Amino acid sequence: MAKQRVLVVGGGLAGLSVTMKLAELGIAVDCLSLVPVKRSHSVCAQGGINAVNDLTRQQGDNEGKHFDDTVYGGDFLQHQPPVKEMTLWAPKIIDLLDRIGVPFNRTPEGWRDQRRFGGTLFKRTAFAGATTGQQLLYSLDEQARRWGAEGLVDFYEGWDYLGPVLDDEGRCRGAIAQNLVTMEIRSFKADAVVVATGGCGLLYGRSTMSMACNGSAASRSVQAGAYYANGEFIQVHPTAIPGADKLRLMSESARGEGGRVWVPRKPQDPRDPKNIPEAERYYFLEERYPKYGNLVPRDIATREIFSVCVNEGLSVQSDQQCVYLDLTHISREELDRKLGGILHIYEKFQGVDPREVPMKIFPAVHYSMGGLWADYVKSADGGLDVANPRNHQTNIPGLYAIGECDYQYHGANRLGANSLLSCIFTGLFVAPGIQKLLGSLKTSTNDEKYDSLHKAALAKKQAEHDALLKQSGDGGENPYLIHQELGFEMTKAATVVRQNDQIRAAIQKVNELCERAQRCSLSDTGAWTNQNVVFTKALRDMFPLAKALLHGALARDECRGAHYKPDFDMPGVEATDPAERRRLAEKWCDAFEEKNRRWLKTTVAKFDAAGEPSLSFEDVDTSLIPPRPRLYGLVGAEVIEEAWKDRQKKPAPSAKPQPALAAAH
Amino acid sequence: MADSSATPALPFLVRHEFLIRRLHSLSGLIPVGAFMCVHLLVNSSVLNSPETFQNNVYGIHALGKLLPIVEWVFIFIPLLFHMAVGIMIAAGGMPNTQAYPYGANIRYTLQRATGIIAAVFIMYHVFHMHGWFHFDGWLSMAESVGGHKFRPYNASSTAGAALQNPVILVLYAIGIIASVFHLANGLWTMGITWGVWTRPAAQKNALVVCSAFGVLLGIVGLSALAGMYNVGKGEAYQAAIEAENRMYEARVEAGSVQPNEHKRIEERGTRSEE
Amino acid sequence: MIAPSKDHVSTYAEAPKPEAFDVRILRQDAPGESPKWERFRIPYEPNLNIISVLMKIAAMGKNAQGKPAPPVAWDSNCLEEVCGSCTMVINGRVRQACSALVDRLLEDRPTEIELRPMSKFPVLRDLVVDRGRMFRALERVKAWVPVDDYLDRGPGPREAQAKQETRYPLSECMTCGCCVEACPQYTKVELTREPGETDSQFEARRKQAFDTAFLGPAAISQAILFNDHATGQMQADERMEALTGPGGIQVCGNAQNCVAVCPKSIPLTTSIARAGRQATVYAIKKIFDR
Repeated sequence: MAKQRVLVVGGGLAGLSVTMKLAELGIAVDCLSLVPVKRSHSVCAQGGINAVNDLTRQQGDNEGKHFDDTVYGGDFLQHQPPVKEMTLWAPKIIDLLDRIGVPFNRTPEGWRDQRRFGGTLFKRTAFAGATTGQQLLYSLDEQARRWGAEGLVDFYEGWDYLGPVLDDEGRCRGAIAQNLVTMEIRSFKADAVVVATGGCGLLYGRSTMSMACNGSAASRSVQAGAYYANGEFIQVHPTAIPGADKLRLMSESARGEGGRVWVPRKPQDPRDPKNIPEAERYYFLEERYPKYGNLVPRDIATREIFSVCVNEGLSVQSDQQCVYLDLTHISREELDRKLGGILHIYEKFQGVDPREVPMKIFPAVHYSMGGLWADYVKSADGGLDVANPRNHQTNIPGLYAIGECDYQYHGANRLGANSLLSCIFTGLFVAPGIQKLLGSLKTSTNDEKYDSLHKAALAKKQAEHDALLKQSGDGGENPYLIHQELGFEMTKAATVVRQNDQIRAAIQKVNELCERAQRCSLSDTGAWTNQNVVFTKALRDMFPLAKALLHGALARDECRGAHYKPDFDMPGVEATDPAERRRLAEKWCDAFEEKNRRWLKTTVAKFDAAGEPSLSFEDVDTSLIPPRPRLYGLVGAEVIEEAWKDRQKKPAPSAKPQPALAAAH
Repeated sequence: MADSSATPALPFLVRHEFLIRRLHSLSGLIPVGAFMCVHLLVNSSVLNSPETFQNNVYGIHALGKLLPIVEWVFIFIPLLFHMAVGIMIAAGGMPNTQAYPYGANIRYTLQRATGIIAAVFIMYHVFHMHGWFHFDGWLSMAESVGGHKFRPYNASSTAGAALQNPVILVLYAIGIIASVFHLANGLWTMGITWGVWTRPAAQKNALVVCSAFGVLLGIVGLSALAGMYNVGKGEAYQAAIEAENRMYEARVEAGSVQPNEHKRIEERGTRSEE
Repeated sequence: MIAPSKDHVSTYAEAPKPEAFDVRILRQDAPGESPKWERFRIPYEPNLNIISVLMKIAAMGKNAQGKPAPPVAWDSNCLEEVCGSCTMVINGRVRQACSALVDRLLEDRPTEIELRPMSKFPVLRDLVVDRGRMFRALERVKAWVPVDDYLDRGPGPREAQAKQETRYPLSECMTCGCCVEACPQYTKVELTREPGETDSQFEARRKQAFDTAFLGPAAISQAILFNDHATGQMQADERMEALTGPGGIQVCGNAQNCVAVCPKSIPLTTSIARAGRQATVYAIKKIFDR
């Protein structure tokens, strides 16, 4: 038997974690990435990484609470065993990162410093300046490079994954990829392929994601038969700096330090914002949420900013949706001391000093909670069965999905500083399972008998590429303009506030765009570093995911986490009479239970040959923490909570039995 | 790594690049830079009087037959080494002050430019005054093409006379300024190279100190040049020769100097200006 | 996007802006081909950066003369100046395209912006260059912490705040190449494949050429970063061997452009001077302490 190999697609936190762990286990790895791995999108993460630590433990924290915060934050849509396992590993992962040299901020005594993040009461987040993601990625990059120098890892940077190679039994035997410089298409023989290619923000045209986050690898996997889960769950960050090329994150701390959000009462008031008198300014968050003011939870801030601009037409600019985030009432010295770093980012990219002129901000697509469907095996104690080859395997044997491009950890909404953790955890965790898989295989894909399989797969991709290159000349469609239109439709229908009629219209429009994209004509038909053809391929592959996302959003008639449909919102209890309040609260709890019965399910999209999705729904394993309502900011939350607690105390006669494992497992 | 065993051995200069560069850096200070300081200071003693300078020269020439050995081992060879390596370094760089007109970058380019100017100047200067070698045939040849003008036992007068040509005088001024800049700036970069001043603040302070040193040494050098020039002209020249001759005769009489006509102005005791 | 509202522009702009501006790009079809200038005309909008200009050029598909022009090839990813991809020479100075704002560039030269690929690396196409030598340099200086394994062995070494504050800025280096582009001592290494040479033979020859060429400020600074780490320091001698080997620290000519152009303001010259100090000690030890 020839030597077995593993192909890792993607060189961000997840891809590099699995690469270095596999190398440590003595397994030869090919690591393939669109960009040099050190330039992966993981560098953009700013905040930090969550884990229970010695300090928080003494304040009553433990892994169970981290687990609970994550599941509650995700509105219970995650299978719980993987999340539990992740939170158990978290402290050990931080220790490992510490050992490999991440420059975590330090206390005066030299311990790792921690900060508090949204969605928890504990200072659980370790951080390295304002560039934690960059620091973590670099430390993994260094380790992976070390294995490269020792000859166990081969890097293929600047390669575009075109899809998996499946044998007659449907097992993944490697992948086809294309070199972005030479345009060479070749096959990579592998006994397991790990897809770790991150999110799909480019479906929305512009987002906080990087140019490589086009979802093409996930799309090419689903077109080969993999399933896609919870696509409709997309996290939108409330404050980003709109740019012609990208929406750049503006940290929540700007509001935390006293930033005020407002729009002129007169729509598109042309005056300099500083000349608009107080009375003519609409501080809509402060007026609508007197208690929380500008520090309402993320999802509410997002919705209100969106609504003020889109539904009420009060955007500051007519050509671009945005509101003012105003810090100009705070002294320069104070701003420089507390917010220097982030104000510098605004200044750098906008060329305007936010200490003098109010910043212009708007919500932006930030993270995909959904992704490739991946399996897991539950252990006796409710965590994961360590080193089981089924963990993180997609429905295609031998094809794995980890990191942001799998769907398992964040449910309906991701908690801040949990994404870095899930990426590194899944990378480290999946490696021993893959090792076991390789041990169980009787052959290596590098054996001669697989040559013809790879040759045929390669020929098919080469033919597709050649055909696309021939599509040139006038009258055809322009891929860049189609991408802009796709982004516009997706942003309009499937971000913050979702309405079924809008989603239906968007589906129709996206179908049209999809057809037009087949008729793209290329302005570059060269056979060398042809970015035009690479972009066009990626664009075409955006449609299956876009469709799955829209169909999922249309089907899911409820509000859950980042998925908000006003038509299916459950209003709070506004009555004042105690008995009436209680009655309404009971009714609310009934509706909540009904909603969970109906919708506490994973959306699973399967695709036909044309990339059309069809949906099915799969039960969620909530066996460890029973679902409970998220009442933050809701009117009458106290009485609902009381009613819900009473209900939980009674032995529930009609309580549905929780399946120990979801049906598909 | 596996492939390193198969690669052919690297050329000597590449293999020992670090050592060569560090020796180049060191030689710039000791002995070359240090010698230059002494040289300029000794020469500037002419400002006091030609006799003072002549005394200093006698001090140096007290080494007698050992002098050529000392010259070559401690001055010429290190100097030639410093020049040769310096020219290689300058040839390997690609100055880009137009695109990046920052102070340190301009000094980087000037360091290379002044190095080349200083190298050309010093090659000429040693030939012009000293003649490089002490063989008679060579020296008379050198003399016939304008070299070997300096006579140690008529120190100020011969040096001064050799500087009367305005072209040569200007050349000397440029050469001195270039050499002094090269030394002062080289001192600053040397501090970085050897790791004496590492932080920006330290480097800035060091730059002030090195600049002050350069200005002072420049004043000393140019004053010495002016002093020599003045001694070589008109009545001062005659007076200097007379004083030098007196000193020579007194020393020969006292036995502290062996008679040596090679180190004196020949025959007439006067030289026509060039 | 709909056309920008002009009244809004006038709020912040100091000078009247042009209706449109020219972008002159030095294009090259492939390695070894001769470069040619091509001019594009872009309608002015406020708040553009060079990336959005290049996106517009790709979508337009034609040059200033109205002739069809294939999209300009360029590298980019994060567009936030943390990934290091989009380095190019803009108006004669190396910088990241994402943070190069058109409004600022037009203040320097009111009607035209000039884009060139970096000159110290082989051009692959247009503005795309091969920075493989920089990553190879990181291998040369062993820019990593040599841990035993990735098992659970508790936390890493405790570290003083001051130490972390020294290491953190060095660790922000994104291998973008600005420092080496501006460095007058860093010269281009470009090899072309010889007839009959296999991939691995060519790769070996390339590595050898890289390994005797100057490391550059970025890699020197990374060596210092890892010499500063309590565990990384255990491999310090190996890093010093690379730093004092061919193409090592000695090639630095102290022009200090690196620190002036570094988009992350990394104290590269401090690292270089510290590397010099460590090299002094190491060399003396090596000569006398055998």
